[in-house]
Parts: sequence; structure tokens; C-alpha cells
Amino acid sequence: MSATPSEVNPVRAFVAQVWGSIFRHGLPTTDKVAARTALTNFFLHIHPVRVKKSAIRVSYTLCLGGLSFFLFIILTITGLFLMFYYIPSVDQAYQNIKDLQFVATFGLVIRNMHRWAAHGMVITVWLHMARVFYQGAYKPPREFNWAIGTLLLLTTLLLSFSGYLLPWDQLAVWAITVGTNMAKYAPIAGPYTRYLLIGGRNVAQGALLRFYVLHVIALPLIGFLLMVVHFWRVRKDGFTGGL
Amino acid sequence: MATVVGGGNGNQRGRTAEVARPAVAVPRPVSGPELATPPLVVRRREEEETVVTFPALVWKEFLAGLLMFVFLMVVSIQVNAPLLQRANTAITPNPAKAPWYFVGLQELLERFPPVMAGVAFPTFVIVFMILTPYIDRNPSRRPQDRKVAILLFTTYLCLAVAFIVIGVFFRSLAFNWDWGLLLGHPGLKSNV
Repeated sequence: MSATPSEVNPVRAFVAQVWGSIFRHGLPTTDKVAARTALTNFFLHIHPVRVKKSAIRVSYTLCLGGLSFFLFIILTITGLFLMFYYIPSVDQAYQNIKDLQFVATFGLVIRNMHRWAAHGMVITVWLHMARVFYQGAYKPPREFNWAIGTLLLLTTLLLSFSGYLLPWDQLAVWAITVGTNMAKYAPIAGPYTRYLLIGGRNVAQGALLRFYVLHVIALPLIGFLLMVVHFWRVRKDGFTGGL
Repeated sequence: MATVVGGGNGNQRGRTAEVARPAVAVPRPVSGPELATPPLVVRRREEEETVVTFPALVWKEFLAGLLMFVFLMVVSIQVNAPLLQRANTAITPNPAKAPWYFVGLQELLERFPPVMAGVAFPTFVIVFMILTPYIDRNPSRRPQDRKVAILLFTTYLCLAVAFIVIGVFFRSLAFNWDWGLLLGHPGLKSNV
């Protein structure tokens, strides 16, 4: 973008200024430029600037952690779309889902995507855990990040479980009835836990609203926070690399 | 070209990984039969090489994400998410099953007292999983040094998967054992 003073075009100079104010560096043609880009870009900042080649081999990571996060993003976006059409009321929820399937443009595909991505995320998170275990990547200094990963697995399961109730069909209500009945068996605290969780003695309006709030606000926030710490520590604790 | 790195001490290696100058202080023994003790970790030189994450890693992530997105899109267009009749608390479906990832717990409930299956086992599994890195004192990451850990974990995974498969495919009316979902019901026209 260097022009001799005689041929400075004010429009081009302005465009160059705007562009340069957003993107501090050009295309990553050399390692030096690429490294500086990674350092100054907020979104790329999630990665370290340099990493061992063996640590990012696809045959080593199988991309499972990244794919779990990617599915979480897809679930957030499709979930936002679904929220525009969904009212957590026992009188309206089921009809809302029907409308999503048959009336709303692309509603069916978006709902399908949300559902299958949720199942997919449970699977990828499980496999990610297995991968990390088999490669011994939980060993010092990464002990605590493994613990956070365990909590993330639990959060994923709870997110999926809380979303299961929302369509308010026979599958949803009875699966949640069976699932929450398990909580009842804990000594002393069991029945109270179940009452607290479903806001009553049966899966009804109270349960639907609680599960909705947990599903769209509480659990995603908890999951996001845990993910931020998880990723941060992946960087700070160092990469294991190939065996 | 091969370089010997560390002494198989995973702990040490993990902590110094960020320094990323593997071959500086390490005396380089000649690899081959003349070594007194075989090196614990032999690595090819290019594996210690570092790359700039942008674009090397970002590119891989982009491709993986793209493939996953296309896969999801195809599945979502082809297969509809289930939606049964509107919820009716007066009609209990038979069998009533938990979501598939909790069906393993439901299967445990069939076999053990509720306090064990519903509370003790899950709590134990969660606590044990979180404590795994503190319990497993073995510093090596090589599979041949971790036979017990791998055996235990594989057993756990197989059990978890087996219970889920049983719960989903081999349990029907009143959650009783039933081969019918897999083999069909001879004599019955439609599967009940």
C-alpha cells in the first residue's frame, strides 16, 4: 500500500486505513507474518503461536475436541433460531414444534440439525475423553484440565438431557420421568433433589420451565465458562505431542 | 534421523515442552545396538518441529468443521428428529426409556438395588474419573507401560457401551429382556 505522494488516491488511502485498522497484518505468506497475525487476532489467540507439528497431527487428535466445540457452536446458533418459535408452556410447546416442522421456513432442518448435533456432541465428547485417556494426555501437568473435561462431559449430558423434555411429546415427558426418577433413590436428599429439579411431584409445567431455563441459559453458560478454562489450560499446560 | 529425547519421564517432558529446544542439552547417543540401555522414547526429528498454528492448525480445524457441517446437513435433510404424540400423563408408553446416554443407568437399575445403581455407581464413576490423574502415578505415556490403566479403562468403556446397547436394543415391554427388537417376533405380524 505504498504510493508515491504524487499519486495518492484519497479513496484508496481511506480503504487502506480502514482495512489496516481491522486486520493488522497481510496474508500469512511467511511464518513471521503468520505468527504476528496469530498474536494480534482475538479469535486466533485461542491457539498458541507455534505448536509442535506432532501435537496437531490429525491421526493424533482425531479433531475430537475441536469438533465437540464446533458442534457446541452449531447447537448455539440453531438453538437461538429455535428459541424464536418456542414457548415453554405445556399448552403451546408441542404445537410450536409442529409449526417448526411444517410452517416455519427451514424449521424442520434446523430442528433436525439441533437434535442430531446434540447426539453427535455427546458422542464426540465421549470419544475425546477416550482419546485423551488412551494417549495418557491427562498426566501431569494436565491433571486439573482432565477434571474440567470430566465436568464438561457431565455438562454436555445435562444439556442434552434438559433439551430432551422441551418438545413436550410422549418421548420427552416419559424419558425425563424415568431419568429424574433415578435422582429419587439418593438417600435423604433424593426426593428433594427431584422435587427441586422438576418443580413439583410430576413432570408438568414447572419441570418444562425449569428445564427450559437450564437448557438455554444456565447450562450453556456453565459449559462456556468451563470450555474457556479448558482451552486456556490446554495452552498453558503445554501440548503432549505424538507418542 | 533419530534423536533420543528425555528419559521416558513424561512429567519432565510435559513441563519443558514450551521451551521447545529439545536437542540442545541432551547428549546425543548413537542409536542402534551399541546403546547400553535402549532409549525410552525415540523420536524422529521432524516430530519435534514446530509449525505456526495460523494457518497450519486453523486450516485443519476449518476442514474438520466443514466436513462435520456437511455431514450434519445431509443427515438433517434425510432423517427427521423424532416427535411422537403430544405428552399425555395418563398414558405411560411401554417401555418408558431414558435418553440413550442414560439408558445404561436404567439398565443398572434393573440389576442392582436403586441406591447402588442410581446413586452410588454414578457418583463413584464421576469421582473416580476426576481423580484418575492423581491415582495413576505412572509417568509413562507409552501404551506398553500402561497395560493396567488401559485394561481398566477399556473394561469401563465396554461395560458402558454394552449397557447402553442392551438398554436400547434388547429391552422392550416393561423393560424386560427381549431379543425381538433385533431378531423379530416369529408368529407376530407387527412388532408390538
